[in-house]
Amino acid sequence: MQSNKLGWFLLAPTLVVLFFFGVIPFFYVVWLAFHQWNPFAVNPEIVFNGAANFRQLVFDQGFLASLGVTIAFVFFAVTTELIIGYALAQAFMRDFPGKAFFRTIHTLPLIMAPIIVGSIWKLMTTPSIGIIPQFLDNWFGYDLNIGQSALAAFTVTVIMDVWHWTPLVTLTMIAALVSLPPDPFEQAQIDGANKRQIFWHITLPMIRPAILATVFIRLMDALRTVDEVLMLTGGGPGSATRYLGVHIFKEVFPKTNYGYGSAVSVIVLYLTIVVCWLLFVALIAPRNKKG
Amino acid sequence: MANVAIRDVIKRYGSVQVMHGVDVDIEDGEFVVLVGPSGCGKSTLLRMIAGLEAISGGEIRIGDRLVNDVPPKERDIAMVFQSYALYPHKTVAENIGFPLKMAKRPKAEIAEKVNYAADILDLTKYLDRYPKALSGGQRQRVAMGRAIVRDPQVFLFDEPLSNLDAKLRVTMRVEIKELHQRLGTTIVYVTHDQIEAMTMADKIVVMRDGRVEQIGAPLDLYDDPRNVFVAGFIGSPSMNFIHGTIAGGTQGRVFRSHEGLELPLPPTAAVEGQEVTYGIRPEHISVGEGGIPVKVVVVEPTGSETQVFARSGKNLIDAIVKERIRARPGEEIGFRIDAADVRLFDRKTEQRI
Ligand SMILES: Nc1ncnc2c1ncn2[C@@H]1O[C@H](COP(=O)(O)OP(=O)(O)OP(=O)(O)O)[C@@H](O)[C@H]1O
Ligand SMILES: [Mg+2]
Repeated sequence: MQSNKLGWFLLAPTLVVLFFFGVIPFFYVVWLAFHQWNPFAVNPEIVFNGAANFRQLVFDQGFLASLGVTIAFVFFAVTTELIIGYALAQAFMRDFPGKAFFRTIHTLPLIMAPIIVGSIWKLMTTPSIGIIPQFLDNWFGYDLNIGQSALAAFTVTVIMDVWHWTPLVTLTMIAALVSLPPDPFEQAQIDGANKRQIFWHITLPMIRPAILATVFIRLMDALRTVDEVLMLTGGGPGSATRYLGVHIFKEVFPKTNYGYGSAVSVIVLYLTIVVCWLLFVALIAPRNKKG
Repeated sequence: MANVAIRDVIKRYGSVQVMHGVDVDIEDGEFVVLVGPSGCGKSTLLRMIAGLEAISGGEIRIGDRLVNDVPPKERDIAMVFQSYALYPHKTVAENIGFPLKMAKRPKAEIAEKVNYAADILDLTKYLDRYPKALSGGQRQRVAMGRAIVRDPQVFLFDEPLSNLDAKLRVTMRVEIKELHQRLGTTIVYVTHDQIEAMTMADKIVVMRDGRVEQIGAPLDLYDDPRNVFVAGFIGSPSMNFIHGTIAGGTQGRVFRSHEGLELPLPPTAAVEGQEVTYGIRPEHISVGEGGIPVKVVVVEPTGSETQVFARSGKNLIDAIVKERIRARPGEEIGFRIDAADVRLFDRKTEQRI
């Protein structure tokens, strides 16, 4: 009994903080999603409006377009990060001179604030002053203008995200690879498997839990990308890079449409949960059931 | 099917040398058993034959092909690891069928061979399970299954039966023998079990500290051990050793232990006064009148035979006799030794005289 009391006592600070900064805001957002609230308007009252925000959302071309580009963005960014991250992790599993040094500096993007990453990439990609358009023009005669080409803007945001977050994937993949037992790999060589077969039949299935955890983390993060993209493209040109986070930001802050913004947030949260759940059901659950 | 030639093989881990020039010739179709105390390099030698461990010197040939630099998958060998090395994410059936799948065999053939192996190994019930839901012995059998579905040049087994119960071990021993007779494939087999070594081997290789001590047919090693180590290692329970010197007695030369115990000598090249180790196997001692007087320490009847531990001075001597003995501890009895069964070793070099 006593240790139980002590346990609660020790947990209390965390629980209080979690309650005030996690639980209350969450329910507050859900509650707001059913209201109309424009605190800076002439009439700043919070007015209950039922499911009107959600109805508006379903017919909101801006939201639907945003959802589309977000899915594309998340898909390309996370897939690329996984592939490059895994390749880098494999490279770091070998011994080569300067390995520790490279492994350290390759994680540097991780410690940068997204807003700074956005600023740097803006600096690098702005036509006529940026280093990237300069070289693309010199070498390939390609005119990169992310203020005008939707595809260019989209691609650059994906590359920026890959640049920023691949090291995280590399680190989790390294952790997964070093913890693998050596025996099955030796056995697979004896059993006549070549490198490609070992990858598909042994390595990949054995690091699958780590891959899934990484995908979950990156998925949730990428779905709520705001500051980098806002800084780099402001969601443009047009709404080419107006990802959900950016969309919510623009609804809530410049338009001060707090109720509607909350409704979109709730939907994004819901989507994240559904996507993760689907991934889980498709990739992890069947195996556990069989075992 | 192929012969394996191991020539002056050396293995170093950094500055530590664990293999000091090993020479073994394995004929095509031969069943060779590697024995030796823990850490003597049996697994290392097996792994070098498999190609999992680079060799630091010497050469290994499989069927006339120099394989020093050939990767494992091109050596066409099947191996059962001491640690089983099952694929944790594959079912028993997938584990056993894996080598066939890698060789892109048709599905029907894989299923047939897997079922056949599972049947032999008594694993049919477990085909859909994952390794984590199996006992140690069952895992070991899965590892065996993965080897026997193949038809390789050489089988390498690293203590494949160590975790099985006595009954299953006998069954599996017969099974492996039969597999060997049916396929006629060369087998290199590591074991700690005397009976496995003696019953299965065409040839036994006794190793110690990364060196080969002696190679020979089981009974040759038993009858003619080259040195004290082999004499003590082959045969269970192990040979009795008594230290002493050669002395000239009234009826010819005898062995005299340091405590004055006199024992009969076979015709030998040993010279008078030479320091020797006198070896006699427990099963070559009989109990009876007029033998060497000894004091009984323990009597252990097992039914079919009786093991008697007795003391003469400081020496504890172990005898196994067919008849049942009713001696009490402390009682004096006589041990009879036939000089022809005695093996003499030089005390210093430990080599047979
Ligand atoms: N990676 C390594 N680095 C250094 N020494 C090693 C390494 N692997 C094995 N050894 C040494 O090599 C020797 C032989 O090991 P090995 O595993 O072949 O023994 P073994 O005869 O199979 O023993 P056991 O009967 O216990 O399985 C041991 O002394 C071991 O300590
Ligand atoms: Mg071993």
